[in-house]
Amino acid sequence: MLTIGDRFPAFKLKAAVSLEKGKEFEVVSNEDQPGKWKVVFFWPKDFTFICPTEIAAFGKRNRDFEERDARVLGVSTDNEYVHLAWRKNHPDLKDLPFPMLSDLKHDLVTALGIKHPGEGVAMRATYIVDPDNVIRFVSVTDLDVGRNVDEVVRVLDALQTDELCPCNWHKGEPTLNAA
Amino acid sequence: MSAIDLLAAEIVEPARDIKLNLQSVLGAGGSLTAEQRWGVAIACAVAARNVRLQVALIADARNEVGPAVVEDAVAAAAIMGMNNVYYRFRHHIEKPSYADRPARLRMNRLVKPAASKVDFELYALAASAVIGCDWCMRSHERVVVEGGLTEEQVHDAIRIAATINGAAIALEVA
Repeated sequence: MLTIGDRFPAFKLKAAVSLEKGKEFEVVSNEDQPGKWKVVFFWPKDFTFICPTEIAAFGKRNRDFEERDARVLGVSTDNEYVHLAWRKNHPDLKDLPFPMLSDLKHDLVTALGIKHPGEGVAMRATYIVDPDNVIRFVSVTDLDVGRNVDEVVRVLDALQTDELCPCNWHKGEPTLNAA
Repeated sequence: MSAIDLLAAEIVEPARDIKLNLQSVLGAGGSLTAEQRWGVAIACAVAARNVRLQVALIADARNEVGPAVVEDAVAAAAIMGMNNVYYRFRHHIEKPSYADRPARLRMNRLVKPAASKVDFELYALAASAVIGCDWCMRSHERVVVEGGLTEEQVHDAIRIAATINGAAIALEVA
């Protein structure tokens, strides 16, 4: 399984992004929105019980992620039409503000090493990827354990928080380069 | 008449020195570029918490500099409002046990200025002078001088900071 310090694999996947006719699908790739952080989370199967709760929870905090220059991407191995059907079917998913990606060929879950050996679907994994495409946080739980989105926001904050001010300068240290 | 001239006209007679200084420090002709002059003035008006000065300075600045300068000035003042308190505490208490703790405060905008990095540091220095943090002033002064600004420019920025703070007070006179 890929972990801290590894580069997040390249991907280019179809995604369900909207309920609006003609605008339902987009292709989402790792090269979209350069300079941004990514929060990529996986769930095993569409139309199951734990998934909509935590997907909706990511949706509710989407603004918090945006304010932290992070793009949220949800992924499962279902196809994009199943994602769309689930969005139409479930009230909590109708207004989801982030794309639901379809890793139908299992390339991404295989590259990450999060394909469940028995079920053949994605494990419940969450990655935080920095703007240089390096994995900075990963958590994986067994198939039916839900996630805490607050914790993901907290970790993202901690990863992004650095004492960058020259005020933090101590006698004898070199200063920040202003040029 | 510029917005700042209109506002300066409201300054009461006993504070006339401040009014005259305001006209002279904000005029062109000193060592600072237009960006530096307006950026410093706006950052100091924000740091001095005087909304009317802030609004007038931003209105006049828009004729001479781009929106990135105004944004940087506001960002520098807001972040220094936080950092001056935090680091002033660390510096005054001088216990390594506090200095060794991470601040865990976001200050990412400091390293992502919309315009010039060294000008951003100058705004931060001027705001620190208004708010009053010795070590913050010392460290930001080092950074701007090492970044290529002259002491003459730093001095002119501090003259603006002092005048803006004086004007902020004079405008509150009942």
